[in-house]
Amino acid sequence: MKTAKIVLSLLLIIIAIALVGYTLSSQGDLRDMVMRLDPQNLASADSRMLKARDRVLDGLAEGDRVRDLRNLDRYLQDYGPQLALDGENGLELFVYRNGPSLLAAGIALAVIGAALLVSQLDKLAKLRKPAIYLALAAVLYAGVYIVENIAGSSSMLMTVLKKGAIYALIAVSMNLLNGFTGLFSLGQAGFMLVGAYTYAIFTIATDSRAQVYQYYDGGLVQFALPTLVAIVLAGLVAAFFAFLIGLPVLRLKSDYLAIATLGFAEIIRAIFQYDGLGPITNGSNLLRKFTTFDTVLFPFAVAGVCIALIVMLIHSTYGRSFKAIRDDEVAAEAMGINLFRHKQMSFVISSFFAGVGGALLAMYQTTVQASAFKASMTYEILLIVVIGGMGSITGSVLASFLFVASSEWWLRFLDNELVIGGVQVPLLRSGFRMVVFSVVIMLMVLFYRRGIMGDKEFNLKSFLQPRVRKGGDVRG
Amino acid sequence: MTSVADHALELRNITMQFGGVVAVDSLSLHVNQGEIVALIGPNGAGKTTAFNCITGVYKPTNGQVYYQDQLIISSHPQGKMKALYAGQHKDAYKEVLEPTPDRITKLGLARTFQNIRLFKTQTAFENVLIATHLHRTSNLLTATLRLNYAEEKRMRQHALDMLEVVGLADLKDELATSLPYGMQRQLEIARALATKPRLLLLDEPAAGMNPQETDDLGRFIVDIKQRFDLTVFLIEHHMDLVMDISDRIYVIDFGRLIATGSPDEVQDNPDVIAAYLGVDEE
Repeated sequence: MKTAKIVLSLLLIIIAIALVGYTLSSQGDLRDMVMRLDPQNLASADSRMLKARDRVLDGLAEGDRVRDLRNLDRYLQDYGPQLALDGENGLELFVYRNGPSLLAAGIALAVIGAALLVSQLDKLAKLRKPAIYLALAAVLYAGVYIVENIAGSSSMLMTVLKKGAIYALIAVSMNLLNGFTGLFSLGQAGFMLVGAYTYAIFTIATDSRAQVYQYYDGGLVQFALPTLVAIVLAGLVAAFFAFLIGLPVLRLKSDYLAIATLGFAEIIRAIFQYDGLGPITNGSNLLRKFTTFDTVLFPFAVAGVCIALIVMLIHSTYGRSFKAIRDDEVAAEAMGINLFRHKQMSFVISSFFAGVGGALLAMYQTTVQASAFKASMTYEILLIVVIGGMGSITGSVLASFLFVASSEWWLRFLDNELVIGGVQVPLLRSGFRMVVFSVVIMLMVLFYRRGIMGDKEFNLKSFLQPRVRKGGDVRG
Repeated sequence: MTSVADHALELRNITMQFGGVVAVDSLSLHVNQGEIVALIGPNGAGKTTAFNCITGVYKPTNGQVYYQDQLIISSHPQGKMKALYAGQHKDAYKEVLEPTPDRITKLGLARTFQNIRLFKTQTAFENVLIATHLHRTSNLLTATLRLNYAEEKRMRQHALDMLEVVGLADLKDELATSLPYGMQRQLEIARALATKPRLLLLDEPAAGMNPQETDDLGRFIVDIKQRFDLTVFLIEHHMDLVMDISDRIYVIDFGRLIATGSPDEVQDNPDVIAAYLGVDEE
């Protein structure tokens, strides 16, 4: 059994290497292939066909892949019937077109093979768990990348994935505070706003500043930071605000804390729109022309790293103390846990990641305006956390994608009037989507109070080998 | 430790007043190093309030607490209480020292609770593991990035050892609240021991136990006292247990100390009998 697994993993790695090698090599000899597609050299007799073919070859020489693919498509579309497109040529064309996807698949396969190999070797037993998670991550990212290549990066699916990843990060950051530390805070939109503004202000290209800050003489900040530095800075500034606000506010309990943080979020929104701060925040005008992302991999990578960090924090000794505070403050304090310090830690960290999430949201929207970060945004996030399950990271992530998909995509049809067989379907009109959405949420809260995951996590082991439940029922 | 303090714990005129009600009235007592001392008294006598004053849950209205001959808590009537104060020794203490419970625990005083306070969503093991957090050397970053794996391993081993001590090692992965009542009490003791205390404060450890369990508990307390070189200060209602294991006993009623001495002396004290059984009014 064990040898079989080792052989299998080696086989996987060999296949992966072959796939990657073949894909790479086929990228190089497209020139020959284009010639081979036309064995009788029909092009030499047809000047227009020759022109189309030359365009493909020219594009190839320039190395502009996007243009080249477009030219190739046009060439194949117009002259396909005359070309030898089956057999080996067809395969090679397929490999060329889907080169990046195949490369990604190859790498993912190699990682799976390596992970399988590691998990079978006793000497590397310590690396078993990280290897499995690495393999899962590789599959996820390769999958997303391939889907993006097929569906196109501006498709609805990609929009949902981008926004879903960003919301997942923000929801997890809120869950850290509300679900794991038991602090009911409603300031998330405020910290997202701080993050979004910080990011936008520091990444607007220097030569566009005059245009963006047209009412404020080009603004105060006259330099641009690298994207990743600006994202981290966005988190840090949000964290700093959280630190200051936390000093008085974290001494409050439950509902009072929620009210205070909600108030903060509203105040910060007003302050950022204040005309006097215009040279920095552009007053109530839009911030735009800052660096954004075009591939879904970017928000996935940033959100993935951040969520991984939060998960590691929760499983550390500090995360355990957060949970202790949530369960029983008096007992936690009696066990030597400094309540204020630990609440502050949780609050600041949560806000840091909310700030990073805000920066990503700014990139996703390509513009930032303070008036968009209303309390309703916090409620959206809170809803995701509740639907996913307070105290479940996987629940929050799952719920974010479901929430974004249904609000942006699946329930969209409810907003459009629909006529079937001359009869207009009743109720369907602009705004009905939100009605249905609200009803779904009410039903959810009524009948599925603990959310999709409760406080459990998706667990690979129990997923692969379901076991008999031990211990008492948590859902008392 | 260079010099051994005489008193593991000393209370000087601790008074706790809630509004107009004096729950603990000028309570002075001391617990010697390595003793088992019991604090008894009828219901509502102020025993748990006294405990809460020692552990920082309540800030006493007046008085001082010394631990290992070192002043850890000190207070005098302040603000509105200046006028309201109905206790004694009003101007005896000038210093104000009111540490939070976590600071007290870090000094080496650990406690259990009368109404069990376990972390409900955690397993028995995790409950004990949390109590090892106060001796951490890692910071947030090193702990998150698992750079503290050696310490983490030590914490886990220590928690496991403590579960072993109370005999719950086999049930370590059970949810704490799914354990039987008696075991929950033992788990609380294990959790308190995991903070590596030198003084253990037990608030009615035998509450709800049958005579057999109470007997076992008595032996267990004596056992851990010797094993971990502890001093034990406990509140208890089971007189059999108290008389069995205590070196000395303090009796309070209506917040006031009414008797003190060895178990035999206290048993025959007419004031104690009166407090427990009531006096005939003729």
